[in-house]
Amino acid sequence: MTLALRGSVAVVGAGQTPYYKRGESPRSTKALVLEALIEAARDAGIDPREIDGFASWGDDPSEGTHVATTLGVHELRWSSLAWGGGGGGQVPAILQAAAAIATGQASCVAVYRGMNQAEEGRMPYAKGHFPHHYAAHGILTPVQVCAMRTQRMLEHDKVPASALEALALAGYHHAQTNPRAVAYGRPLDAEAYRASRLIAEPLRLYDCSRENDGAGAIILTSAERARHTRGKPAWILGGVQGFVRGWGELTENQDPYTSAGLVPSMVERLWRESGLTPADVDVTQVYENFTGPAVASLIDVGLVPPGPAAGDVMTVQNLTVPGGRLPVNTAGGNLADGFVHGIGVVLEAVRQIRGDSPNPVPGAQVSLLLGGPAAPQVGAVLFGSDAVV
Amino acid sequence: MSATYPRFGAEGPSPTLLDAPYWDGLRAGELRIQRCGQCARWIWTAEPLCPDCHTFDPGWEAVEPTGVVYTWTRTHRQFHPHAAVPYTTVLVELPQAGGRRVLGLYTGVDDPVIGAAVRGQFEPAAEADGWPLLRWSPA
Repeated sequence: MTLALRGSVAVVGAGQTPYYKRGESPRSTKALVLEALIEAARDAGIDPREIDGFASWGDDPSEGTHVATTLGVHELRWSSLAWGGGGGGQVPAILQAAAAIATGQASCVAVYRGMNQAEEGRMPYAKGHFPHHYAAHGILTPVQVCAMRTQRMLEHDKVPASALEALALAGYHHAQTNPRAVAYGRPLDAEAYRASRLIAEPLRLYDCSRENDGAGAIILTSAERARHTRGKPAWILGGVQGFVRGWGELTENQDPYTSAGLVPSMVERLWRESGLTPADVDVTQVYENFTGPAVASLIDVGLVPPGPAAGDVMTVQNLTVPGGRLPVNTAGGNLADGFVHGIGVVLEAVRQIRGDSPNPVPGAQVSLLLGGPAAPQVGAVLFGSDAVV
Repeated sequence: MSATYPRFGAEGPSPTLLDAPYWDGLRAGELRIQRCGQCARWIWTAEPLCPDCHTFDPGWEAVEPTGVVYTWTRTHRQFHPHAAVPYTTVLVELPQAGGRRVLGLYTGVDDPVIGAAVRGQFEPAAEADGWPLLRWSPA
C-alpha cells in the first residue's frame, strides 16, 4: 500500500538564521525561531500569521503555543513535539506535521528547531538522557554513546574507519562552496582529520557535529494550497518514524546494536510505501551527530553495504557533488554546515528539490533525509519533485 | 580493590528507586539483574512492568559477575569537572542474564577486546553512606 501522505503534502518554504558560534547568538532562542519562521513564510510567499501548526522535537523549549502567540497567528490548529532523546525526533516531527495536513487538521504547519546555548546551557538536547546507569560509569554525553556503537561497528562488523573519514571530508568539501556554512573557508584534509584529537575512541574531533546557535524552519502545506504558493514544492513521498521492538530507551541494550535504528522492517516499509528503491535516491542528507552512526544509517537503508565493503562505497569521490554516485550532506551537514539539532540537514534535503542548494545535484528528483541515528526513536523521509509525484 | 578509578557522582538508586535492588545488591556483594518472576524474561535497565507479560514489579535475581565485552570506549575529553581522563568504559554482555548488557569502568591495562571474557570486582564505597561500583577486568 502506498503511504497516504504521498502527493498530499509538500514543503513550500524554508528559512534559517545565520549559524552563530554556540552561546554567541544576538537573539534569544524564541527570537531565532521567529526569524526562521518569518523567513520560511516569505520563501513560501505566505503571510506568517497563516501558519496554523507547529512541530518540533527533542527537548525544544520553544513551545509551539509560545511561538504562535508571538507570531500573531490567526488560529492554532496543531502543535506537537516528537519525543525521544537526541536527534531521533527530527523526522517524526516532519511526519507529524504532514499527518496533520493530510488529515485536514491543519493547513500550513511549520517544522522548526532553534537553539541558543547561552540561554539554554550546553547540549540542551541531551539533558536528562544520561540516567544513573550511564553516568555512574562515565558515560555523560552523546559522543560516548555513539563511540561505543561505532567501536563495535568497526571492531566487530569490520566496517573500515575510512568510511567515517570519508563522510567527514565530504561534508567539509561541500561546505567550501556554501557561504552559510560555519566551515566555509576552512577546508579539512585527511591529514588534519587523522591528526585531530580523540574525544571518545574511536571518534575524533572531526567525527563530531558542531554545536551552534541559530534556527531553521520549513513550511508544509496541502497539495491544494501548494499549487498556489510561490515556491517549487518538495513533495513528501514517504517516511517512517519510531522504532521496532528491540529498540527504544534501553541503555545500550538495543538490538541490532550497530544499526542506526532503521531496522530492516522499517526500511522495507519506507521503500514499499514510497514505491521507490535505494537506486531512485539522487541525493541524501544524513544526520551526523557523529560520523559512525551516520555511516550506520546509510548501511541500514541499503545505500552502503555492511562490513568491509562499506569502505568501497564510502569514498570522498563517491560522496561529493558533482560526480559522486552517492552525494551526501551537500551543504556540509551537521559537521561542517552547522548544527542546530539537525535542522540544517532538513533544509538541505528540501533545497535539493526546491532549488538554492549550494551544491545542487544535477536533475535531482528524489531527496532522502535520514534522521538522528542511534537515538531511542529514529526516522527517514523522502522528498520528491513534481515529476516524481 | 582500592577506589582508584574515577567516580562521577551518579552512584546509587535513580529517583524512581526502580533500580534500588541493584544498588543494594552491590552492597551485599552481588550483581542483581531484574528478571520477571512470571515469564522469566531478563530486563535491563529496571522497569516497573515486564515488557513481555505485563507483570508489575518484576523480580530480581543475582548472577555471577562475569561476562564478555560487547563494546567499549576510552574517553579522552574531560566531560566531568573532577574525573580524570582517559578512562575506559566497557559494555558487558551477561550470557547468564539473557544477554542483557551492563556498563562499567574497565580496569585492564590493554585495550578491551570485543568478545573477550571479563570479570567484575566490587569496588567499595569511599564513604559509609556511599555506594559500591562494579569494575571490570580481563577474566
